[in-house]
Amino acid sequence: MKLKEKITSMIILTTILWAIITVCGWKGQYILGMILGVLLMLVYMSIGAANQGVLNKKFFTYPLMVWAILWVLSFILSDYHGKLFTGTMPSFTILGFHPSFAWTVITYWIGGVLTLTLGFVLYKDLWLSDEDWNNFIKKIGQIDGKKEVS
Amino acid sequence: MDGKTKMLITLFSFGMLVISFIIGWWAKKKATTAQAYFGSTGLFGPFVVGFSSMAAVASAFALVGVPGIIYSTGNAMTFWMLSSGAFPMAYIILGKKIRAMAEVGPVASLGDISDLRFNNNRGIKVLMSIIIFIGCIAYLASQIKAGSELFGHLLGLNPILAGFLIFGVLTIYTAISGEVGGALTQAFQGFVMVVAGFIMIIAFFKVTGGFKSVLEVVSTAGTVTSGEIVKEFSSGFLDAWGIMPGSVAMTWMLIPILGTVGQPQVLTRMYALKDPRDMPKMGLYASLSHMVVGFMAVVVAYGALFLVGRGLIPPLSNPDTAIFAFADYLGLYAQLFVYAAILAAAMSSASMFLSLSAGIISRDLPSALGFEVEPEKQIRNSKITIFILGILSIIFSLTSDSMVAILGTFGWGTLMSATFPVFVIGLLWDRASSQGVLSGLIVSLILNVISLLLERTGFKWPGGMPWYVNVITASILVTVIVSLFTKGATEDDLDEKVKMVIDL
Repeated sequence: MKLKEKITSMIILTTILWAIITVCGWKGQYILGMILGVLLMLVYMSIGAANQGVLNKKFFTYPLMVWAILWVLSFILSDYHGKLFTGTMPSFTILGFHPSFAWTVITYWIGGVLTLTLGFVLYKDLWLSDEDWNNFIKKIGQIDGKKEVS
Repeated sequence: MDGKTKMLITLFSFGMLVISFIIGWWAKKKATTAQAYFGSTGLFGPFVVGFSSMAAVASAFALVGVPGIIYSTGNAMTFWMLSSGAFPMAYIILGKKIRAMAEVGPVASLGDISDLRFNNNRGIKVLMSIIIFIGCIAYLASQIKAGSELFGHLLGLNPILAGFLIFGVLTIYTAISGEVGGALTQAFQGFVMVVAGFIMIIAFFKVTGGFKSVLEVVSTAGTVTSGEIVKEFSSGFLDAWGIMPGSVAMTWMLIPILGTVGQPQVLTRMYALKDPRDMPKMGLYASLSHMVVGFMAVVVAYGALFLVGRGLIPPLSNPDTAIFAFADYLGLYAQLFVYAAILAAAMSSASMFLSLSAGIISRDLPSALGFEVEPEKQIRNSKITIFILGILSIIFSLTSDSMVAILGTFGWGTLMSATFPVFVIGLLWDRASSQGVLSGLIVSLILNVISLLLERTGFKWPGGMPWYVNVITASILVTVIVSLFTKGATEDDLDEKVKMVIDL
């Protein structure tokens, strides 16, 4: 995925998202704000993970997109079950938790951590390979060498 | 609590203090260059850096204040404490770029990275240093106050004496070993917090029988009273949002997650890692250890709710005592680890913020103002500054309650509003201009101060949202909009090596 020419647009998008999320908070539209928050984080991670302006599709799919879907589902399901049992003891639990909070534990917390950490470890070369790093160090050395000569 | 228990808690906690001092003393031999002393740049592996990052992020507030908030208002705050995924996210966004900056030039502090990125722009460095300094001092004062009052009360000592005993030792080892000792002692303290976390989590399940029992108790207990103290329970307490407005839950999800990438204690640790290819492993260690500590904060709050709802202990007059009430009910083994964990959390954050503040005063600000100082002299100046700042902070924290409360307004959000324009936008976007970032920082400083004044008047922001969300958004908006129309430190004015970092 070539992002090089799109980074300015993506940064403008993140800025607009910050503004909309803040307004969502003012207006009490917290679920929309949280979902847009996931999009905001996804855009930042996509730019950060890109190498020479190119984001690897595999890395974007897993862990990034899988994580984003998990979190969006988490907030929607939390809200759904929160509203379903407003003012009453829930008629069932998930792993002993209030069904609304269970999604915070299962998808936001455990699912989020496992997806991002394991995906990051598993596909670390798609984020920064030995070759990328060694080339970077070599080029820095060459630039420094040229400066010393001149 | 009987005298024998107090003595054992004291011995256990001070044992941790002595080990921290020994580690700091040992580490001083490695703190020989400015890069090592101020930043432990490129010195450690993923385990040490991961644990030290977690420990510096999890402050005394996380173990004392957070359970208190959950006890009072339900689950909204769990979004903050269960934000363990923030570490790998921060490293994915910025890890390789921050670490790569340490190859572009000598990097010992965040100010050095700002210099490299924005061509030694003095305005950016001064403003960023001032805002970070305010945030650091606020954190430092609250850690000292929490730790000193806790142990002063426990031992029947004057809090100032307890403060000098605990944080005096911390000041000495931080001064002699700088960030080398800082990283190693924080990793050790993080380990203590994780051990305490496991013990408290197991104890929670043994005492309550699990989350279902807590949910039943909280949903059905109704109102529990003891004298004038009343505790209202309801089923809404334990749904995802608790009894706070949904916008607060939204903030407590967004700000800790994205704020982690903007915290100096996380940013500085990115360049402390020896090999940047170990960043994913570092994310694993930091987030797994944070999971244990974060879950501990949640279960002790649940434990206190269970005990009060069941009538096993009276309602708490001060919600911040939730962790102690639960530990006291469990007995000596829990008390030993809870007090040690709180001390570890206070010390790890305090040492980080003490060395950061001293680095700003003795190194970053003078250089931003045009005073060039030799590296050896920088280290000597910093050691003196750490001693002076350490002593002043102890006295100030424990004698000026109102000022500590005022400063307490600053913290996580303040630090984020200063670092986001410089590092996140600056290192992700080659069009982020020096004028844009400078404008963003000016807005951040002014709005932080105005928000402080408004908070003192009881002003309520729309939606009940914490003030810092508005400040962060404003500083980002201004940074990006001004950058679109200005060109300082971009295009031809952007250093070739820095451009390579942004592209990496």
